[in-house]
Amino acid sequence: MTTLEVRGLTKTFHKITAVDDVSFTLAPGRTVALVGESGSGKSTIARMIARLVRPTSGEIVLTGPDGEPVPRRGYRDHVQMIFQDPFASLNPFHTVEHHLARPLRLHGRSRSDVPRLLEKVSLTADFARRRPHELSGGQRQRVAIARALAPGAKVIIADEPVSMLDVSIRLGVLKLLARLQREENLAVLYITHDLATARHFSDEVLVMHRGRIVERGSSDDVLVRPQDPYTRRLAAAAPDPEARFRQGGQS
Amino acid sequence: MTWSPKLATGLGLAAAIVLFGLIGPMLTGDPATIRDIGLTPPGAEHVLGTTLTGQDVLAQLAGATRGSLWVGVLVGVMATVLSGIFGIVGAYAGGVVDEVFSLFSNVMLVIPGLPLVIVVAGFVPADRRGTWTIALVLAITGWAAAARVLRAQTLSLRTRDYVAAARVSGEKTWRVICVEILPNLLPILASQFVFAVVLAILSEAGLSFLGLGAANASTLGTMLYYAQNGFALQREAWWWFVPPGLVIALLGGALALINFSIDEIINPRLRDRARRKRDVVAVEAEVVPVDPDAVLTVRNLNVVYQAETPVHAVKDVSLTLRRGEILGLAGESGCGKTTLAYAINRLHRPPAEVTSGSVTFEDFDVLALEPDELREFRWVRLSMVFQGAMNSLNPVTPIRAQLHDVLRTHRPGMSTPDREVRCAEVLRLVGVDPARLGAYPHELSGGMRQRVMIAMALLLDPQVMIMDEPTTALDVLVQREILNEIKRLRDELRFAVVFITHDLPLLLELSDRIAVMRDGEVVEYATAEDMYLRPRHPYTRQLLASFPSLTGEAGALIT
Amino acid sequence: MGYYLRKLAFYLTALWAAVTLNFVIPRMLPGNPVDILMAKLQQRGGSVDPAARTAYETLLGRGGRESFAEEYLAYLGNLLRGDLGVSVSAFPAKVSDVIGDALPWTVVLVGLATLISFLLGVGLGAVVGWKRGTWLDSLVPATTVLSAVPYFWLALILVALLSSQLGWFPLNGGYDVVLDPGWSPEFIGSAIYHGTLPALTIVISSIGGWLLGMRNMMVSAMSEDYVLTARAKGLTDSRIMVRYAARNAVLPSVAGFAISLGFVVSGSIVTEQVFSYPGIGSKLLQAVQNNDYALMQGIFLVITIAVLGANLVVDLLYGLIDARTRDRSTVS
Repeated sequence: MTTLEVRGLTKTFHKITAVDDVSFTLAPGRTVALVGESGSGKSTIARMIARLVRPTSGEIVLTGPDGEPVPRRGYRDHVQMIFQDPFASLNPFHTVEHHLARPLRLHGRSRSDVPRLLEKVSLTADFARRRPHELSGGQRQRVAIARALAPGAKVIIADEPVSMLDVSIRLGVLKLLARLQREENLAVLYITHDLATARHFSDEVLVMHRGRIVERGSSDDVLVRPQDPYTRRLAAAAPDPEARFRQGGQS
Repeated sequence: MTWSPKLATGLGLAAAIVLFGLIGPMLTGDPATIRDIGLTPPGAEHVLGTTLTGQDVLAQLAGATRGSLWVGVLVGVMATVLSGIFGIVGAYAGGVVDEVFSLFSNVMLVIPGLPLVIVVAGFVPADRRGTWTIALVLAITGWAAAARVLRAQTLSLRTRDYVAAARVSGEKTWRVICVEILPNLLPILASQFVFAVVLAILSEAGLSFLGLGAANASTLGTMLYYAQNGFALQREAWWWFVPPGLVIALLGGALALINFSIDEIINPRLRDRARRKRDVVAVEAEVVPVDPDAVLTVRNLNVVYQAETPVHAVKDVSLTLRRGEILGLAGESGCGKTTLAYAINRLHRPPAEVTSGSVTFEDFDVLALEPDELREFRWVRLSMVFQGAMNSLNPVTPIRAQLHDVLRTHRPGMSTPDREVRCAEVLRLVGVDPARLGAYPHELSGGMRQRVMIAMALLLDPQVMIMDEPTTALDVLVQREILNEIKRLRDELRFAVVFITHDLPLLLELSDRIAVMRDGEVVEYATAEDMYLRPRHPYTRQLLASFPSLTGEAGALIT
Repeated sequence: MGYYLRKLAFYLTALWAAVTLNFVIPRMLPGNPVDILMAKLQQRGGSVDPAARTAYETLLGRGGRESFAEEYLAYLGNLLRGDLGVSVSAFPAKVSDVIGDALPWTVVLVGLATLISFLLGVGLGAVVGWKRGTWLDSLVPATTVLSAVPYFWLALILVALLSSQLGWFPLNGGYDVVLDPGWSPEFIGSAIYHGTLPALTIVISSIGGWLLGMRNMMVSAMSEDYVLTARAKGLTDSRIMVRYAARNAVLPSVAGFAISLGFVVSGSIVTEQVFSYPGIGSKLLQAVQNNDYALMQGIFLVITIAVLGANLVVDLLYGLIDARTRDRSTVS
């Protein structure tokens, strides 16, 4: 079972602490939601785990199925990332095929797996020939998910995977991620600013504020019965028509 | 790719000149043959006449064109390679390498090129000045501008997510540069190459004209040098000195046209566009029975983007905005909600056109206003708040100037101190310290900028305010503050609001009535309560279901 | 303040690079300039004493007595004292005097022509961009071709048409040689009369670049949200065009001034030659033709300093018209 553990992760940019002593564990079959506003440091954590940014201190330990720590070179076979903006995360110059075949080859798999990968994310095999500009936002994000799965990764970092998509297709993409997580027994870090989807699509929630985790626990505990004042303000700020009409509020 | 007339002309002209340079010398005979006929005007024997020594000008022109093209291509290749190394590699590597490369490029850029080339050419003895030497010197002095352009572009590409994604996939650095970044730089590289060729041909011509060109080389510049020294000007032998310059000018012009077309490919905003004669097709003034309570009535409004295949962006929309009411306009991207909002104020850009319908403000038709009347209507009766407050404020002037502008235009009699008082007043209304009047937009936070935009919208006490996704770019907590502010101000000042967003729960909480739009049509129009408790249209239900509730049953969505 | 200090530091670096380049070039290239110079000096009846030779060796190298570093220091010392050596083509005049006589002509001619061309080009570009879709669009390809015309060839054509054929302007020179140079009205009038055609050449050749750049930026700026806001505010068209669109569109033209100035200076040198204008460009060529290496180097240095100075002024101006630059922490 592949497990990723983050211990005391800290990152400072030009004397500003973006991430301050953050620890958590991503375990197979579980989704951890990292919730916070822009600038809270949640994307920096994603980029550190994806090895795009070097931590100032702290460690990221990946334990393989054999119970042994995974060496540096094999890290990317196991840990992959889904980016926020599907319009920016696919290279406009290349076909869908290129986007999937390259990671397959880099991780010692055959490019004949491309149709199978597309099928996994509910796209047909003929999408392989298309270029990003011929796809809708939702289709692009499905391709991006397929790319993350291509190396056979068991730990997926999803950085705001639906915030750039149209509202009516967001749930579809999140449900796809949830299904894949169950089928493949993935460990998922779901980064979002949206408390509602965090609650519905995760087992554990971490609330970040100014680089620190201010509250953590099961998603129901943290989001329905928040203890920390910041989490309470966040929960209260979300638009809530229910309060207006069900409980006979003002008109 | 658009095959514009500019590109066709440029390519055609360039191809003709290149062909002339390649094939011409084989057809026109030996340019060096000396005849004892002296300076002869163009005639049957010599189509472009002869030089002082009786050499055929056409034959010389063909050889010289070939020589100039050769130098141009040579320099173009070398300069592009240099600019690629210093621009692309430096920018991708980042850190100290980038600093040093960029400093070097900038220093090379500000040291004037031709004087340096002249000095170098002056030191090298004439017999050792070959074409390659000249080309090398021109390349060394001519790559820096391109490197700067490439660096800026690479810096921008480097931070794209697809580059990060390739790195996460485990791609090697050289592969990221060559396979992910370089293809997207191709248009710019092509344009910089073309530019380097033009510059090289021009510089070489100048150098040769001064007698400092490559020894034994024959280029358009050397031809002009001999024409000048043969007193072609004084002898009025136009056929001798006009053609070489004309070839350079035409070739330069052709390559510039090609570059222009490449620019249009890179930046779609520059593409040719027919100017719209009017924004509203003659609409017969409809007498709308006005609801006495209505401030803004839209009836059967149609907006069409008159492209090659016309797009019907707003279809037969009818809405009524009552005094002091908040009307929510909900829909996803491309549903026509923004086009509708702009058409109400006639701000829609070409090729969008209002094809039929009416927009009645109190008792007059906005679509029938003359330009001056329209200007007096805008902001006085109806003001707007846009989504990106960073981009909606002019980045180069302090916010004071942008607030004063409104008063200066619409209240010409107002004195400067009075204007200042009014500006401070509206800023206080939205909770911004009037001391920030002197600030530039970039010095304010996103939420602060949006407050300033709202303050600006309040300046003239309008009856209607259109807000296009005013909180979408903001964080939840700031969004909440701004929404509370809007509600409070509406209650105090009693203006009506058209609030546009994709966030249906937000509208359900905020608005009195809501119109849901899809594909240009209003599919449902009801009070907020009806829409929440009794949604009728399937699309409305789908939208409502897209926003899971924070407090409802957990896990119900995962199937 | 950081912005201005950084700019100043950059231009000092560039100046040092130019000075060093000037020192290194004659030492790296083939040929023995000192011997050629000494021979010339002898022809002119100058002194061939060792002191003259040492002075040239400090400038051009091949001395063999001193180390490279000592030579470099001596060279820098001479520069600081304003000692650029003795010109052989204008013997026994000092290089600094020759340059001093020629410089005002070029500074006034190129400076004025560049200023006129910039203002005219940017102004026209703003209008052409604003009135997009009208007949003004046809100016774009026309000026494109115009900007590809070699300066010196345009000068030849103008001379052939306006001077030889029509006799409107003098064929060459900077002033009527019968007059004594000075601040007399006759002399200034004559200088303006003689300078018109060279200035016209520079303006016509360089205006296209400014016009095109400004027009493209104007078109881009017009689709920015702040212009939309300005229209929604009900401002007059002229106000939107000047205060919102053009005010932003002009920034890249100013930022790109360095590149354009380089072209103008290069073009002007050749133009001066066509008109036998008594400026620094003609002097540079005269120096090259006579192997007057000291003069050559002095002129290159002076041109570089002038260009760097002009760019510095423009950069400082840029800081004034775009507040964002002053606050940015990195050098662009």
